[in-house]
Amino acid sequence: MNALLEVLVSALIVIGGVFLLVGSWGMLRLPELMSRLHAPTKATTLGVGSVLLGSIIWFARVDGVPSIHELLITLFLFLSAPITAHFLAKAYMHVHVDAETRLPRPGEHGWSTYDAAPGKGDEQVGEG
Amino acid sequence: MSLLLIVLLPFIGALFPALMIRVGRNASAAAAFFATSLAFVLLMSHAPALFRGEVLQAGWEWLPGLGLNVNFLLDGLGFFFAALILGIGLLIIVYARYYLSKDDPVGVFYTYLLLFQGAMVGIVVSDNVLLLLIFWELTSLSSFLLIGYWKHLPEGRQGARMALAVTGAGGLAMIAGMLLIGDIAGSYDLSVILQRAESIQASPQYLPALVLILIGCFTKSAQFPFHFWLPHAMAAPTPVSAYLHSATMVKAGLFLMARMWPVLSGTEAWFYIVATTGLVTMTIGAFIALFKDDLKGLLAYSTVSHLGLVTMLFGFGTPMAATAAVFHVLNHATFKAALFMSAGIVDHEAGTRDVRRLGGLMHLMPVTATLAMVAGASMAGLPLLNGFLSKEMMLHEAASTAWLGQGWVLGTAATIAACFSVAYSFRFIAHVFMGPIRKDYPHHPHDPPLGMWIPPAVLVVLVVLIGLFPDTLAGPLVAMVARAVTGGQVLDYHLAQWHGFTPALGMSVVAIVVGTLLIRSYPRVRALWTAGPHPEAKRIFDGLITGAVDIAQRLTHGVHNGSMQRYLAVMLSAMLLLGYFVFASSPNAPGTRALMPASAVAVVGWVLLMGACLALVLMHQQRLLALVVVGVIGLIVSIGFVYLSAPDLALTQISVEVVTVILMLLALNFLPKRSPRESSTVRRLRDAGLAIAAGLGVGGAAWAVMTRDAETLSGYYLEQSVAGGGGSNVVNVILVDFRGFDTFGEIIVLGIAALTIFALLDGLMVSAAGRRLQSWRPDQARAADRHPMMLAVATRAMLPLALMVGIYIFLRGHNVPGGGFIAGLVVAVALIVQYMASGFGWAAHRMKVDYHALIGAGVLVAAATGLGALVAGFPFLTSTVWHLDLPLLGELHIASAMFFDTGVFLVVVGATMLALANLSRLGRHAEHLLVNREPMDVDPSRPSFAAGEH
Repeated sequence: MNALLEVLVSALIVIGGVFLLVGSWGMLRLPELMSRLHAPTKATTLGVGSVLLGSIIWFARVDGVPSIHELLITLFLFLSAPITAHFLAKAYMHVHVDAETRLPRPGEHGWSTYDAAPGKGDEQVGEG
Repeated sequence: MSLLLIVLLPFIGALFPALMIRVGRNASAAAAFFATSLAFVLLMSHAPALFRGEVLQAGWEWLPGLGLNVNFLLDGLGFFFAALILGIGLLIIVYARYYLSKDDPVGVFYTYLLLFQGAMVGIVVSDNVLLLLIFWELTSLSSFLLIGYWKHLPEGRQGARMALAVTGAGGLAMIAGMLLIGDIAGSYDLSVILQRAESIQASPQYLPALVLILIGCFTKSAQFPFHFWLPHAMAAPTPVSAYLHSATMVKAGLFLMARMWPVLSGTEAWFYIVATTGLVTMTIGAFIALFKDDLKGLLAYSTVSHLGLVTMLFGFGTPMAATAAVFHVLNHATFKAALFMSAGIVDHEAGTRDVRRLGGLMHLMPVTATLAMVAGASMAGLPLLNGFLSKEMMLHEAASTAWLGQGWVLGTAATIAACFSVAYSFRFIAHVFMGPIRKDYPHHPHDPPLGMWIPPAVLVVLVVLIGLFPDTLAGPLVAMVARAVTGGQVLDYHLAQWHGFTPALGMSVVAIVVGTLLIRSYPRVRALWTAGPHPEAKRIFDGLITGAVDIAQRLTHGVHNGSMQRYLAVMLSAMLLLGYFVFASSPNAPGTRALMPASAVAVVGWVLLMGACLALVLMHQQRLLALVVVGVIGLIVSIGFVYLSAPDLALTQISVEVVTVILMLLALNFLPKRSPRESSTVRRLRDAGLAIAAGLGVGGAAWAVMTRDAETLSGYYLEQSVAGGGGSNVVNVILVDFRGFDTFGEIIVLGIAALTIFALLDGLMVSAAGRRLQSWRPDQARAADRHPMMLAVATRAMLPLALMVGIYIFLRGHNVPGGGFIAGLVVAVALIVQYMASGFGWAAHRMKVDYHALIGAGVLVAAATGLGALVAGFPFLTSTVWHLDLPLLGELHIASAMFFDTGVFLVVVGATMLALANLSRLGRHAEHLLVNREPMDVDPSRPSFAAGEH
C-alpha cells in the first residue's frame, strides 16, 4: 500500500516537474509574447497543481487527516494566474499591436480594451 | 505654599483677562488688577517677618537628577523687587486701561503683561539658579510679545526682535555662566552658592563664569555696548515702556548683580568690568539723551544712563555703594515710571511726542505738567526729591573710589554724567511744558481722565515723600535690602537731604549749574552735536544679523544642496572612516568558529541575489525594470528568511515587498520611464568605490560576528518568552512585549511618515508642481476599460478570504508566526487590490473609515494598553495574560499584548492606505479622471448593456 502510494506521489511530482520544465522551456523558445504567455500559465496551473495534489495525498497518509491547505493554494493560483495573464496580454496589445490592421472587429461593440464599454454608467460622481 | 502662590498668581491670572474681554475692557482690566493685587497682598503679608530679619523658603523637587528644583527664597532683596514689580504693575494696569484705544486687543495685552509679571516675580524669588534661568528666559519671551504688541507697526516688530535677539543671546551666556557657578559650588541652590564666595572666587573658572553672567546681566539691563535695544523697544505702547524700562525687565540684570553680589563682587575683575561698564553707560546714555527729540527716546537713554549708574555702584564692591545702588533702584523706579506715564499722556493728548513740536503744555494740562515736572526734577537730582538723595550717595562713592590708582577719574566722569543728566531733565521740563502755548499741536491737549493721571500721581507723591522723609519712609526698607545684598553687614549711615558741605554737594551744584547753562544755550550745543559722527546702532546690528544669516545660509546650502548622492556620499564616507578607525585600532584576527558547508539551495539563492543586484545596478535607468528587479531581490531575501527559519520575517518581508512595489508603481506613473544620466564618470566611479567599500565593510562586520562565539540576548528571550510574555512566538513577544516601547515609538514614526506623505502630496496639488501636473499627459496609451470585469469579480471573491487570513494571522501571532504588523499589511494588500480593481474613488466611497483617524486610533489604543499597566501599578507597557472560559469557544487565552498589537495593526493599515489614497488622488488630479459609479466598466448583467446603449 505504502509503496503504491509512494509511486503515485512520485509520479505526480515528476509530472509536475515536467510541466514546470516545459513551461520554462516554452518561455525561452516561443517567438512572441502572446504565444509565450501560454507556457508559464500551464506551468503554474498544471505543474504546481500536480505537485500540490501529490502533497495532499502524502500528508493525508502521514498525518491521518485530509490536508486542505494545498487546496487553498490551488484556489489562489487558479484565481490569480489567469488575471496575470490577462493583464500581460492587455499591456502587450496596447504597446505592440496595431488594432486597426491586425485585429478583426468582434461584434458590434469592439474590443473592450480599446473601445469604451456600451451602456457604461458614465455620469460620474466628480473627483473625490 | 504662599511663596509659590505669589509666583503662580500672575500666571493663573493671565488666563482671565483674555477671557473676560468678552464682557468688556473694564472687566478684563479688573481681572488683571485683581490677580496682581492678590499677589501683592500675599507678598505684603510676609513683610513683618522679613523686617524682623527672617528669610522665607519653600521648595519642591522637580528634576532632582539635574539639580533643578522648584525652590523659592524670599529675603529683603527679593521682597523689594517683587514689591516694585507688583506695585508698579498695579498702577500700569490701571493706566493701560485708559491709555489703550478701543481698537487695541486689550485682553491680549493684559495676558502678556501678567505673563511677564509672573516671570519677573519668578526671577526675584527663585532660590534655584536653573529655575531662575527658566524665568529669565520667560521674561525675554514675554517682553518680546509686549514690545511687539502693536503688530501692525514695523518698528514694533523690529524692536521686539532686536530685544529678543540681544537679551536671548545674553540669556544663553548666562546659562553657561550659571552652570559654571553651580559646578564650582556643587549646588544650584542660591542659598548654598551664596555661602561659597571664597571657593568660587578662588576657582580658575571664576573669571569665565563672571564674564558670562555679566554678559547676561548687561544685555538685560541695556549696558554699553548692548544698550541699543532699549531705545528701539520704545515702539511699544507706553504702559509697556513704563513697566519694562522703569521697574522690571531692565532691572532684572541689576537684580541678578545684587543677588550674586556677595559671591562675585570684591575682586579686581568685578570692579573693572562692572564699574567701568556702568560708568561708560551712564555717561554715554546721559549724553545721547540730551539730543533725543522723541520724549520716549529721551527717557530711554536716560534709563540706560541710570542703569549704568546703578551698575557702577554695584561694581564698586563696597557695602555702602551697594546700599546706594539699592536706594537708587527704588528712586529710579518711582520717578521714571511716572515720567514714562506722563510722556504717554502727552503723546495721547497732544498727538505727538516730538519735543520740537511741543512746549507750553503747562497752561493746557496743568496736572500732567506738575507731575512730570516734579518727577523730572527728581531725575535731574534736585534737592528735596528722592533722586537727589541717591545721586548724592553715588557722587560720594564715586569721589571716594580710585580707578587704576587715580582718585579723580570716577568723580570727574560721574560729575560730567550728572551735568548731562540735569541738562536732559531740564530739557524735558522746559521744552515740553514751559514756554508759550503753540497753535500747531496735532490734537488739542488737555488733562487726561482721572484713571490716567492717578497712577503717576501715586508715584510722584512717593517721590516727594521719600525725598522729604527718607529715613522714616525708605530707611528700614533700604536697610533690609542692603542687609540681604551684602550678606548681613550692618552699616552706619543715614538717609538725609543735608550732610553738610561735602564734596558730593559741590559736584551736585556743579552739575546743576552746568546743566542749566547747557540747556540755556541748547541750539549751539545741538549744532556741535550734529556736526559730530553718529554711529547708528540699528544699522550695525542689522548688518551683524544679515552677516550671520548669510554665513548660516552658505553653510547650510553648501552641505545641504538637495543632492541625494552627496548626502549618501557624506554619510557613507563618515561611516567608512569611523569603521576603519575602529577596525585599525582593535585586534582584528579572524573568528575561530568553524565554517558550515554551503548547501546547493543556498548557493543558488546567493547567485540569484548577486545577479539581481548586479542587474539593478546596470538597469537602474529604466525605472519600471529596476522596480521589477527590486521585487525579485525582495523575494529572494524573504526566501532566505524562510531558509534560515525566520518565518515571521519572511512573511513581513513579502507583504512589505508587495505594498512597496504597488505604491512605487503608482508614484512612478508620474515620472519619466527612464531616469537621465546625471553624474559625471568621475563621480560615478567615486560612488561605486564608496558603495563597494561600504558593502565590504558591512559584509566583513557580519562575517566577523558570525565566526565568533558570543553570548547573545536570544537565549534570554527564548527562555522568557512564554514565562514573561505569555506567548511562544518569540519574535512577536519581543515586538509587543520585551521591546514594546520601541515598537510604540516606531508606530508613531510610521504614522508621522504617513501624515508627511499626505502633507507633501496635498501641498503638491496646490503648488506650482500641481499646475505642472495639471498639464501632464500620460506617455502611454490608457486602456478603455480601466476596471476590467475579470479583476473586479476575482478580487471581490478574494476580499473575505484575504480579510480572514489577516485576522487569522493577527490572532495566532502571539504564539506562531504572524502578528499585528503582518496582519496589517495583509489587510492593507487586500484593500489595495479592491482599490485597484474598481478605482480608488469608487472603493473609498464604500470604505467609511478615515485613515488619519485610523492612525490616531492605533497610537491611542497602543498607548491605552501601556497606560493600563500603569493604572494597575506596573511600569508602562507591562503585559499580562488572562484565561477565559467561554461557553462555545472553550478556554481562551488573551494576552494584554494583543491590544497593543491591535494598535500596531491599525497604524499599519492606516499608514499604508493613507499613502495609497494620496497617490491615487494625485493620479486622478493629474489625469483629470472622474470617479466611476459602477465597479467595472464592462458588465453584462447591467440592463443598459443588453440594450446596447452608448
